[in-house]
Amino acid sequence: MIRKLIWNDMKQNRLSCAATIFFMAVSAMLLALAVLLCSGLLGAIDNLMDRSQVPDYMQMHTGSDIFAKPGGGRMGSAAEALSSFAEERKEVRQWQICRFLNLDNSRITLGSRSLADSTQDNGLCVQGEGFDYLLDTENRMPKVLPGEVYAPACYRSLYELAEGDIMAIGSHELVIAGFIRDAQMNSMMASSKRFLVSAEDYGRIKESGITQTDGLMTDSPSQGYLSEEYLIEFRLSEGTDINSFAAAYAASGLPANGPAVTKPLVRMMNALADGTMILVIFLVSAVVLLISMLCIRFLCLTQMERERREMGMLKALGVGRTGIRRIYFVKYLLFSGWGAFAGYSAAFLLKAPLEKQIRELYGAAPGGIKAVITAFLAVILVEGILLLSVRGSLKKTERLSALEALFQSGERKKSMGQYIVIGLVAAACTFLALVPRNLYSTMSAPEFVTYMGIGDGELRMDVRQTDNIDLATEQIAAALRLDAEVERFAVLRTGSVRAVLPDGETISLTVETGDHSIFPVSYSEGSLPEKRGEIALSAMNADELGLDVGSTVRLMIDGKPEEYTVCGIYSDITNGGRTAKAFETGSSAPAMWSILYVSLNGSEGKGQWMSHYRQMGADVTDIADYVRDTYGQTLGQLRLAFLAVLAIAVLVISVVVMLFMRLIVEKERYTVSLHKALGFTCMDMKRLYFFRGLIPVIMGLIAGILVGILCGERVCGLVLSAFGAESFRFVISWDWVLAFIPAVLLGPAACAVLMGIEGIRRIGAFECCRGNGQT
Amino acid sequence: MREGEKTMCEAKAKSDTADKLLRVEGLRKGEILDQVSFEMSQGELLAVMGPSGSGKSTLLYQVTGMDQPSGGRVWLGGTEVTGLTEDEKARLRMKRMGFVFQQMNMLANLNILDNILLPAVQANKGKGKKSADELTKTARDLMRKLSISGLEDRRITQVSGGQLQRACICRSMMNRPEILFADEPTGSLNKRAASEVMTELVRLNREGTSVLMVTHDGRIASCCDRILYLLDGRICGELVLGRAKEGTGRMREEKVNSWLMEMGW
Repeated sequence: MIRKLIWNDMKQNRLSCAATIFFMAVSAMLLALAVLLCSGLLGAIDNLMDRSQVPDYMQMHTGSDIFAKPGGGRMGSAAEALSSFAEERKEVRQWQICRFLNLDNSRITLGSRSLADSTQDNGLCVQGEGFDYLLDTENRMPKVLPGEVYAPACYRSLYELAEGDIMAIGSHELVIAGFIRDAQMNSMMASSKRFLVSAEDYGRIKESGITQTDGLMTDSPSQGYLSEEYLIEFRLSEGTDINSFAAAYAASGLPANGPAVTKPLVRMMNALADGTMILVIFLVSAVVLLISMLCIRFLCLTQMERERREMGMLKALGVGRTGIRRIYFVKYLLFSGWGAFAGYSAAFLLKAPLEKQIRELYGAAPGGIKAVITAFLAVILVEGILLLSVRGSLKKTERLSALEALFQSGERKKSMGQYIVIGLVAAACTFLALVPRNLYSTMSAPEFVTYMGIGDGELRMDVRQTDNIDLATEQIAAALRLDAEVERFAVLRTGSVRAVLPDGETISLTVETGDHSIFPVSYSEGSLPEKRGEIALSAMNADELGLDVGSTVRLMIDGKPEEYTVCGIYSDITNGGRTAKAFETGSSAPAMWSILYVSLNGSEGKGQWMSHYRQMGADVTDIADYVRDTYGQTLGQLRLAFLAVLAIAVLVISVVVMLFMRLIVEKERYTVSLHKALGFTCMDMKRLYFFRGLIPVIMGLIAGILVGILCGERVCGLVLSAFGAESFRFVISWDWVLAFIPAVLLGPAACAVLMGIEGIRRIGAFECCRGNGQT
Repeated sequence: MREGEKTMCEAKAKSDTADKLLRVEGLRKGEILDQVSFEMSQGELLAVMGPSGSGKSTLLYQVTGMDQPSGGRVWLGGTEVTGLTEDEKARLRMKRMGFVFQQMNMLANLNILDNILLPAVQANKGKGKKSADELTKTARDLMRKLSISGLEDRRITQVSGGQLQRACICRSMMNRPEILFADEPTGSLNKRAASEVMTELVRLNREGTSVLMVTHDGRIASCCDRILYLLDGRICGELVLGRAKEGTGRMREEKVNSWLMEMGW
């Protein structure tokens, strides 16, 4: 009998049943999709990192070949010092020095495209000896033959490359034999990209001198020396505290003039570049779940309202409270099963296209069954939450007596609740569409870099690859002072300083000194250092060292202690996120590197200007290009996510508005019929209900925009803090927020209202005469 | 048929229908109505009687254009109702017809005065139409006439059935209709309230409004000028009573009752 009742109910209420299944399916699909993508991404990253044996700690160093023994041997004095450091420390399982031949981007062409615009440090390397392997697309170690090169997998789609294409480095040509996955540098957020070549080619190209050598670009093989970057890599035993190892390395005085990277940081960078889209899908699935709960609850209540009389009859016939509830609940259980199946299947269908990039960069995740089960559990969780909400609504049947149900069915409640739901859903959809868009415009805005520890300049000049950094910096600064094209510039020198914490612990602090007010970064607390005795710390440093604004720290300047007060805390992801800024320390110790930020008077001839300064030994980067290259991958995904979210928002708002307007018209059938009987035309009634439906949509849109602007910042804060941006302000693109998004949502919503009220045409004027009177 | 003959026939039909306020010809609706034809003169008070399920209400819906008949034609004055579109029919109902329903059918979220004003406000939208104040004055006058003054601000649940039905009559009269249709107007009222409502309907009729009423009640029908008897969707009897005069009520009622018995009531 229950089966018959459910079947008949479904035939009579096709729309409401279809809508219930739709909401159950969409909610299940989104969470299952997010879980599948998340476990796929993390599984693939872990698998790649395991297979390629990523080092636990990697220190970069640039400069002359300090590791080469005079006469060409492998072990120089620095290498010996490293060897003894590794032997002394029991936690070091393996160590190695990988060489990275930094190429001049303007001399590289991949296929038919030049890399001149790239801000990545592109270079050659050979396969690691003991670990840090570069793997092919099958996650195997490729055997590279002379004349062949394996290009980074992330360049495959970026530069539309295929196997057999030619990579030209000056006059040298190499055939791209395949693509490699570089567990350390796969992410576009990593600033270097490694091309794998044979040892023979590496040596040949190094000898020919087509490299970036202290800024002097030359094709001449007679260049006196070559500058390579060295990746000093350590594999540590399990359970080692990487931070204390890093501190020990920094204190040892071993080569360390470049940034240090740890395995967790590599994992985070890999996850973040592709994880943004997944985070957005998680956010959307939470909001859609709320919308679904709201809508299903209302559909359930509306149906119960309509079936009051039947319920009364069942009660009068002696069917118990739980019996009636069971009839309804079994129906929702059935819907939930169908919704879960549809959602789960759809998640698998959508997974493949969305996972394309993840698969290309990291390979397939092993152990798929775990992800399948987790996604299944997520679907069960979603359906469980929805069924619990339905169960709560069904409890209302228990409070209704048989007589009330039988004889009060005429007094129907007005449709205010439905209009409120329309408004709330419109607000939620606007919020959904707005947040990823604002996140996108925030991350693509030029000032976003200031949340990452990068000054708000136009160009950034890094002076690293020289033995006398201070001298090179001073030469460049002198040239900038005389340069008429330069509007303003700032010189920031970075050096390592010993610091004594309030608890007496001594640490090594990387401090950037100079005038930080010219191109300031964003401070989450306090302000920038303006005089000697003030120091600002990166959020990660402040957190780890337990220091706040106002705390004091003693710096050992040339062996003498000097009191410094923490004046500000800023976000930073550069140099592992552990940095400090001071106005002046007066230290006579040589700089590890320096950075010059520059703003030009005009953008004409910028390229020429940049290459001129490159020849002076600086690595000149256009910050806009840097942002494009570093966050391009993330921004692309975010844009995709925004479009997907917008499509979901349009779908949800259309379905909800159409459905609820149909319900309202159905509920107010008598009113419509009476109006028609009294002489109102169909168009009069449609006009009335069109505005009634559109007004809550417009109010919802306005509310959604306000909430999106006011609270969206906090929601995005969760995403952006993962990128290292601790405190940030939304960069709002008002044209999108006030015009495009509302128009994209309002258009379909207005059509949905029209479709929803189409039923008015079919309501007969005579129906009210047959009914129960008061409407 | 030649063109000239066709035009003459149409002109004759038009002149015939123009003499009558309402003309129904061969009206059909599925299996409920079967070739129903009748006429109604200007100022007439006509009742349609018949047992439950005979098609009385359905006949009313077809005649007023609330429903689409399967066949047949209906004229109101010179206008063929059955030839109009849905919107034209709605406008015709708004301007030339009035309705009184058995169940009153008023909107619960409006007070009595607003319910009465509802169709009038819609009909008077646009330039050159009556202002809201004028409409309110008309409504109050009608309420006074039907003895329900003072109920303007009451909710529909706060008045008696008889008062509510009189409010419905006020609403139906707001646009000064040519004809008033009443579907069992006293069906849900007690005896006293029913006779009050009927008195008002007769008074309106005497003032010039034609009334077509569907009723079960012989006593109510005896107030009418003429009665049609509907059985199984066909008109199978007609009783002409003429205008009711003072003191003839009982006699008319007996006449109706004996006629109904003849008809098999």
